[in-house]
Parts: sequence; C-alpha cells; structure tokens
Amino acid sequence: MFVLKNAWKSVIRNKGRNILIAIIVAIIAAAATVGLAIRNAASDIEAEGLSSTAVTATISVDRSKLISQARSESSSDSSSDSQPDFESMRENLSQDNLSLSDYEKYAKASSVGVSTYYSENTSLDATDDFQPVETSDSSSDSSSSSSSSSSSDSDSSDSDSSSSSSDSGSDSDSSSSQQGPGGQGGGMIGMGSSGDFALTGFSSDTAVSNASNGSFTMVDGEVFGYDSASDGKIIISKALAEFNDLKVGDTVSVEKTIDDDTQTYKLTISGIYKNTSSSESAGGPMGGTSQDPDNAIYTSVSTLEKLGIDSEADNADDTGTQLNFTYVLGSDDDYKTFAQNVKTAGLSDTYTVSSPDVEAYESSLAPMKNLSSFTLTFLLIVLGVGAVILIVLNLFNVRERKYEVGVMTAIGVKKPKVALQFVVELLIVTMVGLGIGVVGGAAAAGPVSNQLLSSQVSSQQSEQTSQQQQFGRSANMGGAPGSSNSDSSDSTDSSGSSAAPSAPSAPNGSSNGAPGAATKATEYISSLNATVNLTVVGQLILIGLALTLVSSLVGIIFVMRYEPLQILAERS
Amino acid sequence: MSDAQTPGTNTLIPGTDKKRTIMTENTEIKKTTVTDTPTGAATGISTSIDTQQQQHHVAVLALDNVSYAYTKGGKKIFHNLSYTFEAGKVYAITGPSGAGKTTLLSLLSGLTNPTEGKVLKGGADLASMDRYRYRSRDIGVIFQSFNLLPSLTVSENIILSLDASGKKFNLPKKDIAAQMLERVRLPREYENERILHLSGGEQQRVAIARALSYQPNIILADEPTGNLDLTTQDDIMDIFKTLAHRENKCVILVTHSPEVARQSDEVFQLEALRHRKAAA
Repeated sequence: MFVLKNAWKSVIRNKGRNILIAIIVAIIAAAATVGLAIRNAASDIEAEGLSSTAVTATISVDRSKLISQARSESSSDSSSDSQPDFESMRENLSQDNLSLSDYEKYAKASSVGVSTYYSENTSLDATDDFQPVETSDSSSDSSSSSSSSSSSDSDSSDSDSSSSSSDSGSDSDSSSSQQGPGGQGGGMIGMGSSGDFALTGFSSDTAVSNASNGSFTMVDGEVFGYDSASDGKIIISKALAEFNDLKVGDTVSVEKTIDDDTQTYKLTISGIYKNTSSSESAGGPMGGTSQDPDNAIYTSVSTLEKLGIDSEADNADDTGTQLNFTYVLGSDDDYKTFAQNVKTAGLSDTYTVSSPDVEAYESSLAPMKNLSSFTLTFLLIVLGVGAVILIVLNLFNVRERKYEVGVMTAIGVKKPKVALQFVVELLIVTMVGLGIGVVGGAAAAGPVSNQLLSSQVSSQQSEQTSQQQQFGRSANMGGAPGSSNSDSSDSTDSSGSSAAPSAPSAPNGSSNGAPGAATKATEYISSLNATVNLTVVGQLILIGLALTLVSSLVGIIFVMRYEPLQILAERS
Repeated sequence: MSDAQTPGTNTLIPGTDKKRTIMTENTEIKKTTVTDTPTGAATGISTSIDTQQQQHHVAVLALDNVSYAYTKGGKKIFHNLSYTFEAGKVYAITGPSGAGKTTLLSLLSGLTNPTEGKVLKGGADLASMDRYRYRSRDIGVIFQSFNLLPSLTVSENIILSLDASGKKFNLPKKDIAAQMLERVRLPREYENERILHLSGGEQQRVAIARALSYQPNIILADEPTGNLDLTTQDDIMDIFKTLAHRENKCVILVTHSPEVARQSDEVFQLEALRHRKAAA
C-alpha cells in the first residue's frame, strides 16, 4: 500500500519524464501490436486453412530413389560395365507401379476416414470414321519432332487449342516456358500411350470432377453411369464431336494396338461435354494428339474393364493403362496421419505420399509466411531496441533519484520496497503507454498488414516470373524437350513469331502427380485479417510486463547496491 | 515565560551524574539564556519531570569498545570507544572538525556498522538487528543536510516518514504533520509548500518535525542548530530538552556550538584524530 501510494505520487510528480517514457512505450507497443496481429492472423490461417476442407493425396513412385537403388544394385552386379544397366532400371521402374488392390489396401490401413476415387487412362487410336482433332496430318510422328521443328509444331497446335488454353495464361506475356506433363504419375506419357485419343475411365463422379483436363460441363446428353449397365458409354468433347460430326447416341469405333494385335472397340456416345476450366496439359510437340484436351474421351472404369484394357487386366503392361488413385481425406491433419499409416502399413521407401492440395495450399501461403517471419524479425528488433531504450531511461531515472533512494533508505524504508516502488512506477507508465499503443496499433494493423502482404505477394510473383524467364533454372522444373521453342527470354527479338503468348503458364517447381494443381499459377493469399483480439492484448501485456521487469532490473540492481550513508555523504 | 523545567534539570544532573566541570558551567549559562528567551514552552511540569527522570534513566544506546575505519584495514577513526546514552537526557557530542562526530552518528543510527566492537540498543547488538526497522521506528535522525526530498511538500516529507515507520497512529497523518509543524513553530500554511521553497532554517525545522513525527525514543541530530539564528536555536533546544525531560527520550546532538553543548545534560567530547593517533 505504502509502495503503491508512493509510486503513484511519484508518477504524478514526474509528469514530464513519465510522459516521455509512455510515448516510447506506446510506439513500441503499437509496432508490437501490428506485428503480433499479423503473426496471429497468419498462424490462424495456417492452422485453420486446411483443417476443415478435404484434401486429396496420392501415392507415387519416388523415381530418383528407385533409380539410385537400381544403380547401386547394378554396379555391384557388374562392376566392369561403366554403362548403367538401363534395362534393369526400366524393369525396376515399371515393376513398382502399385496395383488397384494395393491402393485399396492402403486406404483400409488408414486410421482416419478416407474416401477414394480413381481413374484409369489409356490411349486409343483413330479409325477412319473417327478422327482426333488436329491440324496437321502427320500426327503419328509428332511425338518425335525435334526441338528445331518444335516451334512450328507448337504454333500450329496452339492455334486450335487456344480456345481452351488461352484463358489459362494468368501472366501470359512473358511466361512461355512450356512444361511437359511433369513428374511421375502424370499418366499420359507412359510408354505407348501417345495414341490419338486419351481414354479415361472414372470410378465415380468425384473422379470425374477431378479430371486432369479440368472441369467440364455437359452440353448435350448425359454422363455415363458407373455400373456395368452403362458399359461402353462415353462422352466426348464438343470440339471432337463437331470435328467428326457426331451427336449423342452415335457409335464410334476406335482401335488399340496391343502387341501388334489391333483390336477395334465400339463405343456409344452418351453425352458431349465442353471444358470449362483451363486445360493444363500442353498440346506440345511431344504429346501427340491424345494430349490435346479436346481429344479426351471419358468413360467409366467399368467400361475399361469390359474392354479388357483396365489396369488390372493381364496385359496391363502392354496396354499402357495408367492408374491414378486418389485418396480424399477430411483435413490436413488427417492427411499427415494417413501418410504415416500408409508407411506403417508397409509402403516401401520408394513411394511417396503427396498431396497436391496441401502443396498448392502451402505454396499459396508463401508470401504470408514470408511476411510472418519478416514480422517476427521486426518484432524482435522493436522489442530489443525498446528494451534498451527503457533500460537506459530507467538507469538515468534511478541515478537521478539516487538521493531519493538514499533518503528513503536512511529513514528506514527497506531497499526492496524502494526498488519495488520504482518498478511499480515504471509499470504504471508502461501500462498507460501500452494502452495507447494497443489502440494505435489496432487501428493501424489492418491496413499495414495488408500493405505489407501485397508487397510480399508482388515480390513473390515477380520472382516467379523471373524464374520462368530464365527457363525455370532456379526452380526444379522438369525441362521438357520442347520447351526451347520460345523466344520468351524476352521481348527483345521477334515477338511475332510463334507460340509464346498463349502457352499455358508454367508452375513453380512442385511437379507432382496432379498437373491440375501444380501447373496453375499459384493464387497467393493476399489479404490478412489482422485484427487485435484478446490474445494479442494478452501477449502485449506479457511483453509489457517483461519489458518493465527487464528494464527495471538494472534499476533494482542499482537501488540494491546503494548504501544510504554513501549517498548522503556524497550529497553533503 | 521562563522555562520552568531547566532549574529542576540543572540541579538534578550534577547530582545524579558523574560530576563534570563542564556540566556545571553549562547549567549556569543555560539558566541565564533560558530565562532571557522570549519563547516559552511547556510550563509548570518541572516536578513531574523530576520524578520521571529519576525513574527512567535507563541505558538505551551504548557504544561498546567501538572502533571504526572507513575502509577495511584503513586508518581507524575511533579506537575502543565506549559510552552509554540514557533515556531522559540531552547529550552533546562535540569535538573538532574531522574528529568523527558525524561518523559516530552514522554508527548510532545504524547507517553503518562498527569495524570492531558493538553498538548496543537496549543491550542488543545493533549489527544483528533489522536496522531499517530500527531507523524507521526507534530513532529519529535529523541530518546535517536535512535529507528532505526536495520534490515533496513539507507534509508529504513528514507523512513519508510516518508511512515508513509502519506504526499505527490515532490521528490522520495529515493532522500529525500539522501538529509537528506547530511544534517546531512553522506556520501551518507551510504544509503544502515544496521543500525547495523553504529557507535553510525552515528546512531544518521540517527535518526536526519529521524526526519527531513518529515518536521515536531516540533522537539523533547532526548540527541541528547550525543553520539557525540564536532565537530559533533556543527554540529548537527547548524542544529537545522537552523531549528528553518531559517525554523521557534520549536526545543525542552532534554540535560545534558551545552554546548547545552548554544547554545539554551531558557532553561527549571527541578528541581530534591526530591527538588520539599520538596517544595510540
């Protein structure tokens, strides 16, 4: 009580100095408020972000691991041979595709709720009455086109596919580095899959809606069913239908060559669709016409089974049918649990569980994380400088009031009490400053944080753009052979020539199983709801207390060291 | 209005104490000065004081073979000093400059501890006591430089000491402060005046008021009359004498002034340092 009373009186008495301290504390507190609010908002977004939305996960082969494994095996086998044993490596790689039952086994091994869907895709060849959409006649050798001819190739293919692909170029001008369907599990570039059509079988509506060519709408007819009753039904793109002058109900025949044995399948068109979202798979020089989204034929998995070209068929290796199996998990956390469960269920090291959703989401958080870590640095600096200033002020304060300490102790006030009084005084002033600072900081937090974030986003974007301009050298993009077509390096030379403008935007490095997610230009989180809530205020009060204690520590040490006699003797 | 207590004390002191020539001289001079003083303090209580004093000459503070050096192993200012201070008396510590008068006061007030020997308070070693409590409750110190807080008002300074003592008071502290100011004959309107606005003499009176406010049993004063004119000096001495003789306090004054020494009941003469050195 005595201490409080004296402290209060002393605060009132030394208005000038205390106002100065309060202002300094207010500035520190305002800066800290903004910083804390940003960090809070950022961590909220990170924590909440994917916790309530479903995420998809895929299991894919870790090829580099496989290759290194195979290499070490082969080198131990035949050390004399300097040439890598390509044969055995290929064998190794192809062996390790998981089968449908494997995938389902892992789904069952999950301790968290998981739903699954899958699609299988393969290629079909054209017949005389059913031709793929393309511009040049020499479709069959398009995949072998060299890089020198590629620019003309892509030019032509662009011109017709631009209807669907041009809308995807978010930063189209300079970004022209095309990417071949990246990474493993991307599906369509499996050996022998470069036919005229891409036939994709879906297991469910969910699978359809996650089609790798993006979403579509039906323009005519209806979609196939998934049971055996609707076997043989397909849907084709509007462009393909128009190209071949087909309509719903028509039957088309397609061919497939398996081990030199050509089979012909008859399929019924049950519907015609039109792609709505961007199609990312580039109709590049290497893919063949089956890579053109317009040449995608959709059907059910059951149809594929009936035709005997599904991934479980005996000759699956020869049909080149690829299985895309996707797990749907309730949340980000579930995904992590699932990844662990799968490992414990016996998934070997050569496979990785990945989630395009999570990765895409995480890359969308990049600017925010940058901001968050920048804020932390800023916060620490502000607090550090603040603490130093307060310590110095407090030091001068105590030295200035040395006489007071002397008198107080001489009349019998115990040193701890005197020290406590000084601390309480500083605390009162600090809290007042803190209050003012929080109000000011709260007002500034919103605009300041969004300003900072937008500058982070734009710097992130320009960094990405410059990476693209340098053919992604600083990113780990799988360089597609055809990517040299572009004059994209800058607009210095002919802008008129070829493909560049409409090529789909290239992603940053994460090439994974789902081109759909990876090849989109990342949409960054660009606004933060940096409001000051009770958590922030609580943290600030703690900071205020800590600052007060730290800075008054010096004062306390001084007070405790003072001997009244000495002070009074000096004085007189 | 003559100070009625003085005759009583005068006769008493030579009788009860070891006879000192200085003392008898003192009393004679005192008598004259006191009667000349226009200011009158309490009157008509001399008889009761006589009896009180006879009953209460208890040793409250004692020096027991005290030696003191500022630094460890440094030169000693005192050598085996022994002395006893009793309640109900006014003591004057005199001596030339540098004899260690103020240091002795610091020892007595517990601001520092003797290098050797003990300061005994009521028979207990002061060094092992809570000296903060001792300073805040048992003794009132009037420092040579007053040691008032300049940024506080007169009454705030007094109340600070009242608060520090931790004692309970029947009256509001503000009233006690006012009473004390009256006692040292400062006008009441000084209550809310800042110390800085007061003259040296006025500050000294505030320091005295502060020292007396929480009614300690021992009053220590370093040159309490140094800044005062003769009249005021007598005023103050009257207060001290009243405290000792009427209220049975032990009053210890450090002084240069032969006048003050004369008015005291006992004089404790400190020799000059070099004399002692020579003797040692």
